Amino acid sequence: MATAWPDKEDHELLALIQNGSGQAFAQLVERHTERFYRLAFRYLQSRAAAEDVVQDGFLKLWENPALWQPERNSKFTTWFYRVVVNLCLDRRKRKTAVAFDEESEFADDRPAVDEMLMQAQEQKILEREIAALPERQRTALNLCFDEGLSNQEAAEIMGINLKALQSLIMRAKTTLKERMKAFL
Amino acid sequence: MTVNDPREEKLDRLLRARGVEPAGADLARRIILQAQQTPQNRNFSPWQWLRELCLEFHLPKPAYVLASALVFGLVIGLSTPDGSAINGNDSAAAASVQSVFSTDEALL
Repeated sequence: MATAWPDKEDHELLALIQNGSGQAFAQLVERHTERFYRLAFRYLQSRAAAEDVVQDGFLKLWENPALWQPERNSKFTTWFYRVVVNLCLDRRKRKTAVAFDEESEFADDRPAVDEMLMQAQEQKILEREIAALPERQRTALNLCFDEGLSNQEAAEIMGINLKALQSLIMRAKTTLKERMKAFL
Repeated sequence: MTVNDPREEKLDRLLRARGVEPAGADLARRIILQAQQTPQNRNFSPWQWLRELCLEFHLPKPAYVLASALVFGLVIGLSTPDGSAINGNDSAAAASVQSVFSTDEALL
């Protein structure tokens, strides 16, 4: 489906979607799929699961366009980030065991001379520790370190004020520093 | 916690460098195709219909229209003197209307 109206704002596209416009829906999907996928991936650490979440979110919007209520939500992306976060949390609740390769992959007793391997190991451990954080702290980290999302926007998505968000991030980082002592 | 804490800096660096496996190139396309096969649930709501009607004709919000109509009705109702609607001139007025009609018919 060819997309039209590249210059239309999100809320204009949403009004068209509410009138059944598939082209407006296609435009909205193409514009935002990537950013919502990134967030979902950070939660779920699985490409397939993240793709499913983004697809579910957009299809819910398509099926029930009245879910978007412009008078209640100022910005589409803020609202849809919330939708994606909730879908990710639901999915994690259903499947709590995150498929990490556990220690076996790191049990290699060769000296870690390869810088890239070392970084990959650090990242893997970081992901594991982030996954172990309390839900709200994890959400705050995922939103704030996502590209292009300000603390203010992250706070709006979570429905909290800026100070509360900063406090969540600080606590999350303190925990991570403690748990990743050996790597920092 | 100081700003120059090297552990803090390294953690920030790691957090910013978190990798994301790229999505399938056709993810957006798949979503669009899936939507094409999915019908929209468009529940009919009279309120929604009224709002759309007002938007279509660039009228004020339905609540304002209803409230204004109510106030206008009350003002008209209260400003009409008692008994002015029914009085003895009704039959005379009806007769004059009849005469106008009959004149028109005569012209035809």
